[in-house]
Amino acid sequence: MKKFAALTLVWSMFVAVTFMALKAMFFPPHVDHGPHIEEQQWSTDGIRGNWDREQLLRGYKVATEVCMSCHSFKYISHRNLKNIGITEAKAKEMAEALDLGLNDPILSLLSPEDAKDSYGKEVPDLSVMTKARAKGPDYVYALLTHYVSSETFMTEYGKQIIAGDGQYLNKVFPGYRIAMPNPLSADLVEYEDGTEATVEQMAKDVTAFLTWTGDPLLVEKKRLGVIVFLYLVLFTFLCYKSYKAIWAKVKK
Amino acid sequence: MNKFLQWFDERLPIVSLVKHSTTEYPAPKNLNYMWNFGSLALVALVVQILTGLFLTMHYKPDVGLAFDSVQHIMRDVNWGFLIRNMHAVGASFFFIVVYIHIGRGLYYGSYKSPREVLWWMGIVIFFLMMATAFMGYVLPWGQMSFWGATVITNLLSVIPFIGDEIVIWLWGGYSVDDPTLNRFFALHFLLPFLIVGVVILHLWALHHNKSNNPVGIDLTKKGDFVPFHPYYTVKDAFGLGVYLIPFTLMVFFAPDYLGHADNYIPADPLVTPAHIVPEWYFLPFYAILRAIPDKLLGVVAMIVAIAILFVLPWLDRSKVRSARFRPMYKVMFWTFIIDFFILGWVGAKPPEGDFITIGRVATAIYFAFFLALPFVSKIEKPKQLPTSI
Ligand code: HEC
Ligand code: HEM
Repeated sequence: MKKFAALTLVWSMFVAVTFMALKAMFFPPHVDHGPHIEEQQWSTDGIRGNWDREQLLRGYKVATEVCMSCHSFKYISHRNLKNIGITEAKAKEMAEALDLGLNDPILSLLSPEDAKDSYGKEVPDLSVMTKARAKGPDYVYALLTHYVSSETFMTEYGKQIIAGDGQYLNKVFPGYRIAMPNPLSADLVEYEDGTEATVEQMAKDVTAFLTWTGDPLLVEKKRLGVIVFLYLVLFTFLCYKSYKAIWAKVKK
Repeated sequence: MNKFLQWFDERLPIVSLVKHSTTEYPAPKNLNYMWNFGSLALVALVVQILTGLFLTMHYKPDVGLAFDSVQHIMRDVNWGFLIRNMHAVGASFFFIVVYIHIGRGLYYGSYKSPREVLWWMGIVIFFLMMATAFMGYVLPWGQMSFWGATVITNLLSVIPFIGDEIVIWLWGGYSVDDPTLNRFFALHFLLPFLIVGVVILHLWALHHNKSNNPVGIDLTKKGDFVPFHPYYTVKDAFGLGVYLIPFTLMVFFAPDYLGHADNYIPADPLVTPAHIVPEWYFLPFYAILRAIPDKLLGVVAMIVAIAILFVLPWLDRSKVRSARFRPMYKVMFWTFIIDFFILGWVGAKPPEGDFITIGRVATAIYFAFFLALPFVSKIEKPKQLPTSI
């Protein structure tokens, strides 16, 4: 019976560890997952999501008039705008306003080296930014709308964080101290469509624009995916019927 | 056979070989859906090779260009997003299929005589797949590519005396860098073709002894078999459809779901990511590695965790194959599977607090499965086996 004793021991270990794992899964031990990032609604959400062209154009304005003084969008050129229904002539015009050609990548005049000298940190390219953060566009939006003064931070968190030289406080940036000065303030840009340029509005628009720069084919992919999916459902159904028909004669 | 094929076949009997080993291959008629995963694994391998080939036409294995070239594939190459996402999602799905395939073998005792060598070839394929996927993940040259490669290659430095030299030799320098990326690319291209070679041996061994079946008894009657074509071709086609549906949904709607956001940040040797985690399919073994406090022993345990499968046919002394007739083994099997999931889950957690304990106990249970098997298989009273299916 000694053998059974060993087995019982291993098995009770198993039961214990399963229990511990389940407990940790459903009642996770308190670990700091960083600040809470609120989920936002985006026009591209869901299977039927689509670009909101007006919003992308507003976002383009913020991106080129504000962010571009520090950040580049190196995987994007004005030619890509055709994919959201901007005519080539219009795209060319927009490019020329920035002294760029239609096919030129959208690069900041501030070179990466100078940027590093000025801000002490790498200034990241923004083309794939929404894909490069776990919470994606929700994070970028939160980042742009959660700058705080050290006084507010103190009252809300009950602890003092000293922002050093060239550092700013942001509630969602890991470690709170970010080298990017708050880029947005109300009415910083003037929207052509008359939308009021609040900080939230600009943050939302520019983030939607970044989702587009991150994956300009996003919507085409969704449309195609639905068709391929429907085709496969039909294919699988036909295969199933053939399978049943061919096997009908085989005796169990 | 038509006249020309017959003429050809008398000179090079390739037509009859194909006929003999595919269309006419006698397969047990009682195979369940678990037997779909072998052919699915083959499809997954072919998908990786084809998409990989097209990726190679546009990919640039250079630390200055690799990241950009992947973006170029995703944006500018016709259907580039499709081949890239199929390749990245395909790697994950390949592992899902192979894990189920191995689990099937464990449950139905497919590793037992006379299929030990068939089983060995499978384990060799699994090792080669892991090496291939590991090096493939380095190619897009994002933060996780770089740091994952750094952490994993550094493991070899635990080899006594020559470890450090080996790592430098492997890197082609003093850190993971351009030479490393270049050779990983070359090897990533090569290894899948070695896998194809081993797959051929795997199938050769299979066809020599025929498939096992859910009842696990040797089949002798002619009526127990059906020709592979059309019976299993049509069943496998159905299985393929069922496989392709979630695969497609991932490729088109959530290609990055199984990946890591940090891999969209270009590799930067000066910035270490907060958590370096390997791809999900390595997590159970990564958990075993971290469960052992000693680095060298941890690496050994991780390798032994897979290599021990080589001797499984001799650890299991029971003559009965299928777990259906083995009450004790059945419990052990499911314990092992749940334990494997727990290991995978804990492998993604930071090594702190309860997670350490869970990782260690789960590791102990993983090995206990193999150590207990010789004893259990002797004391276990199998149920009465049927004489035919
Ligand atoms: C004055 C220069 C400047 C401007 C203007 C600017 N940024 Fe930044 N940005 C930076 C710097 C510097 C960093 C690096 C911050 C760090 O790592 O601490 C940064 C980082 C970021 C990050 C990455 C944060 C992270 O999680 O690492 C995002 C996202 C971002 N900027 C978005 C924007 C957007 C959107 C705009 C336009 C509305 C913008 N930035 C305008 C300088 C700027
Ligand atoms: C066993 C089969 C294979 C597996 C498991 C595999 C796995 C992988 C993985 C995990 C990646 C990283 C994907 C990403 O996150 O971007 C990758 C990239 C890549 N693979 Fe493979 N691969 C296989 C076969 C091949 C073959 C046969 C080729 C060439 C003929 C190939 C060429 C490439 C190239 C060029 C890349 C870089 C592009 C990219 O990252 O998307 N692969 N592979």
